[in-house]
Amino acid sequence: MLRRLKFIIALAVILLPALLACAEQRFPPPDFEETHHVLPSTTTPAARQIWLQYADTGVFLAALATAVWLIYKKRSRSRLVWLSLFSLAYFGFYRKGCICPIGSPQNIVLGLVNPGYAVPVTVLIFCFAPIVVALFAGRAFCAGVCPQGALQDFVLIKPVAVPPWLEQALSVVPFIFLGAGLIYAGAGTGFVICRYDPFVPFFRLSGGSFILTMGAAFLLLGMFVGRPYCRFLCPYGGLLRLASLASKWRVRVTPDTCTQCRLCEQSCPFGAMREPASAARNPASLGAARRRLGWMLALLPVLVVAGAWAGSKLSPAAAQLHPDVAAAERYVRQLTVPAQYGLMTPEALSLQRAAGDPEAILKLAADLRHRFDLACWLFGGWIGLVIGVKLVSLSVPASRTDYEPDRGACFSCARCFTACPNERVRLGRLPAADKPATP
Amino acid sequence: MNNSPLHRALCLTAWIAGLFCLLLCAVMVYEHSAAATNDPWKSPQLLALKDKLAAEPKNEPLQTEIRQMDRNFREKFRHRLELDRTGGWLLLGGMLVLTLAAGKAAALKKTLPAPQPKTDAGESSVKLASLSRWSLAGVALVVAASLVVIRFANTSVLPANPAGWEKLLAKKTGAEEAPAEQPPALAEFQANWPRFRGWDGGGVAAQTNFTTNLAWRAAILAPGHSSPIVWGDRVFISGGTTAQREVFCYDVSSGALLWRKAVINVPPSPPMVPEPPEDTTWAASTMATDGRRVYAFFANGDLGAINFDGSVAWTKYLGPIKNSYGYAASLAVWGNSLLIQLDQGEGESEAPAEGTTAVAAKAGAARGGAGEAAPAAGKSRLISLQCATGRLLWQRARPVPSSWASPIVVEAAGKTQVIALGKPWVIAYEQANGNELWRAELLNNEVVPSPVFAGGFVLLPDPGSRLLALRPDGAGEVTKTGVAWAADGNFPDITSPVSGGELVFTVSSMGMVECLQTSDGKQIWETNLDTEVQASPDIAGDRLFVLAKDGALVMLRAARERQEIGRCQLPDKFLASPAFAGGRIFLRGATNLFCLGPDAGKPAKQP
Repeated sequence: MLRRLKFIIALAVILLPALLACAEQRFPPPDFEETHHVLPSTTTPAARQIWLQYADTGVFLAALATAVWLIYKKRSRSRLVWLSLFSLAYFGFYRKGCICPIGSPQNIVLGLVNPGYAVPVTVLIFCFAPIVVALFAGRAFCAGVCPQGALQDFVLIKPVAVPPWLEQALSVVPFIFLGAGLIYAGAGTGFVICRYDPFVPFFRLSGGSFILTMGAAFLLLGMFVGRPYCRFLCPYGGLLRLASLASKWRVRVTPDTCTQCRLCEQSCPFGAMREPASAARNPASLGAARRRLGWMLALLPVLVVAGAWAGSKLSPAAAQLHPDVAAAERYVRQLTVPAQYGLMTPEALSLQRAAGDPEAILKLAADLRHRFDLACWLFGGWIGLVIGVKLVSLSVPASRTDYEPDRGACFSCARCFTACPNERVRLGRLPAADKPATP
Repeated sequence: MNNSPLHRALCLTAWIAGLFCLLLCAVMVYEHSAAATNDPWKSPQLLALKDKLAAEPKNEPLQTEIRQMDRNFREKFRHRLELDRTGGWLLLGGMLVLTLAAGKAAALKKTLPAPQPKTDAGESSVKLASLSRWSLAGVALVVAASLVVIRFANTSVLPANPAGWEKLLAKKTGAEEAPAEQPPALAEFQANWPRFRGWDGGGVAAQTNFTTNLAWRAAILAPGHSSPIVWGDRVFISGGTTAQREVFCYDVSSGALLWRKAVINVPPSPPMVPEPPEDTTWAASTMATDGRRVYAFFANGDLGAINFDGSVAWTKYLGPIKNSYGYAASLAVWGNSLLIQLDQGEGESEAPAEGTTAVAAKAGAARGGAGEAAPAAGKSRLISLQCATGRLLWQRARPVPSSWASPIVVEAAGKTQVIALGKPWVIAYEQANGNELWRAELLNNEVVPSPVFAGGFVLLPDPGSRLLALRPDGAGEVTKTGVAWAADGNFPDITSPVSGGELVFTVSSMGMVECLQTSDGKQIWETNLDTEVQASPDIAGDRLFVLAKDGALVMLRAARERQEIGRCQLPDKFLASPAFAGGRIFLRGATNLFCLGPDAGKPAKQP
């Protein structure tokens, strides 16, 4: 009863901030009719000074290097926590979550597609540095530099294990989100990955009702499910996962030889711990496994083609997120059903601009729809590819002799180190004489 | 269970922090919901007071009350913003304490791992892989279903294939429309008074025989300063208030009101716009007609095309209009096109404003070679619309601030030219496509008088300083080469000149009438009527008509000899210019529309 009551209060505490819905209420300007007062024109804040941008980049690279050092040299969870808190404070609350590597692939794609868009050097560094580090040292960025990850780490109170089969299935969602983010960025519609980042409103103490609710839901979930956004949604995490698979160094639970004591089995709150997989198999099942793998490989191109075809049907809906296509839709709709606007809303202004030169907006919308047709083909094919590759990977038997974290899924958070008796001996918390005998 | 004092203390801390956060949230939610109901934009009290002010614009205590109430709302809003900011930080602190305390308490209750005996690891991994594949299939189905829902929940009215786009674009460019209307013959235009100052904007009547006998008068039903226009047996005026803008149609013989039609609810025209200055009114722009429809433009940017039977043909919103003295330029019709000179603002750059969508940047290419970006909203432009449908034919950005002159269309130098004035430029455009033909930087003052074309020259006053004659056969920048002559003097700042060809007449606001030679600008005579004049003068036959503000209609000889032929007094105040058609003169006063001509009910004798 008491536990239930605590749970309800915790739920209410987390969810109620989300009801601060109308953080962006606008106040109408006064109407100076008699005095003909001229309102000053609005100005946008000056861009961050270039030396400060480079300073941010320097801090970022230093934090990445520190994370790698703490994970591999010091093997210190407590110092990693301090690094995470620093990252949360600096990149989260001070820099307000921007610029961050999570959204940076969108900048890269837009720069590739649009010759008029110049990608700043700082964005390039923020995008590629964690990936380069992941190729050598795994997801050190997730361990101690990502403010979103640090926030989720901070609220994790009582981890509940997600069933492995569900974890595997949901691991494709970040890649699908990545695909959606990149096609919208490439089509010049906007940065949807940034728009739907659930934690940035907390860093800025302001946001729309939907995104605040989403953030609150993720934080609430994060109290019991370790890093839900990182594991099941973060598109950049998908890229890091892929890069980590090829990493030169990998996180090991034990600093010494694994004694198969199984004490680290439940030590990872993120479901990344993998148990040894026996190499010896029942010969009768080998044939079935090979046939299954063959089928999955044959299914892969079918999924890609089917996905591309299905994706192409999505183009009319997907394109409507672009403001010019939306304006064209609004204009054509009001030709048959004239729209009535009570106030001069953004939609009314958009309609007014479209009505000013309908031929231009329609031609532009036609061009954008054509681009979205191609982009949705690619997006659908990408979804098919992601699912197909995952099916193939699930059909390839793993071979593992020790308890070790999954290379792609491990956040390098160092939580599992102290579960290992050999690590405790190294830290001096266990006398060497109590070290379990090697089997 | 760990019930140590530390654990109990941590739990208590977590509880207190949680309750603190809860209470804080409750306060903030209450403030937000209260703010939503006290939205100043929708406050019934404030809106009611503003409606009252619209009816009593000079009520100063009411203005003070509105200002005070508005200020109170703003102070509350600022207070709420500060509360939100402080509350946000307090909430963050509370949640920090909650999670730290709860996390530490949970850590104290953590139990040591106790691995249980396991079944065959190999078999369990095979089972897990199988289960994972099926669950992945489930996720794929959910993703597919979501995409299907998104697809069908967002239906598009735009075409799905290239053929459909071609058809839609052809429809918008008019390629698929019904065959173009045949415009009335030039003689028909000339016989009527289809726009401000006659068929060509020159103020010269086609007929010569006009009487000053008062035939009828009809009450003006809505205020306005637009001049009457005449076509056939109809005379039209426009007028409006904050609540409604209308077009009125009277019978020329009897003055009976045949119909009145409101031009309102033009999407996306906003319901509330700043009131134009009282001196300008909602309907200062004189209408135009092509014999099939009348076109009316109002100060809020609403443009309406009304059929002769009183039904609405089409409407269009061209606002909002940023003009400090109120919009007053009149419409012009030429062939099948309706011309609107929409000068406004402070003379901002021609480049599209920041934030404009790619429409502005791509419109040049979209228009297939016209080579001009669509001007951003709020910037000066010259617009040509198709009379029958309101479809945009072309529009050109103009590098000028607000002006109040009306464009004229002339046949000169082998081209049909639209000539528009706006400080400091006189610009001529090709009527068919809006391409600029020539421009001259000659105007030093705000422009109200409209140009006229006579004697082979474009005659225009530089208000208060000179009268200029330009040759219309130039190309490009003709500031130094295009001026035939310039006459210095105190030329009108409101009224437009009039010329029968040999002589040009101007009337200043204080009633000074000047006669100059069109060929060289030499002054022939001048006379002072000693009365305020805002209506532009007109010529009918050999008579020059000058309508004074106090209702005096003065007739002078339109000749080299200075001679007042006569005058009559009308009982009203006049700012609009007269219309001459069918042997009748139509004069719009502040309260009545007057017709001078044969007796009511009798047809006019044509010369």
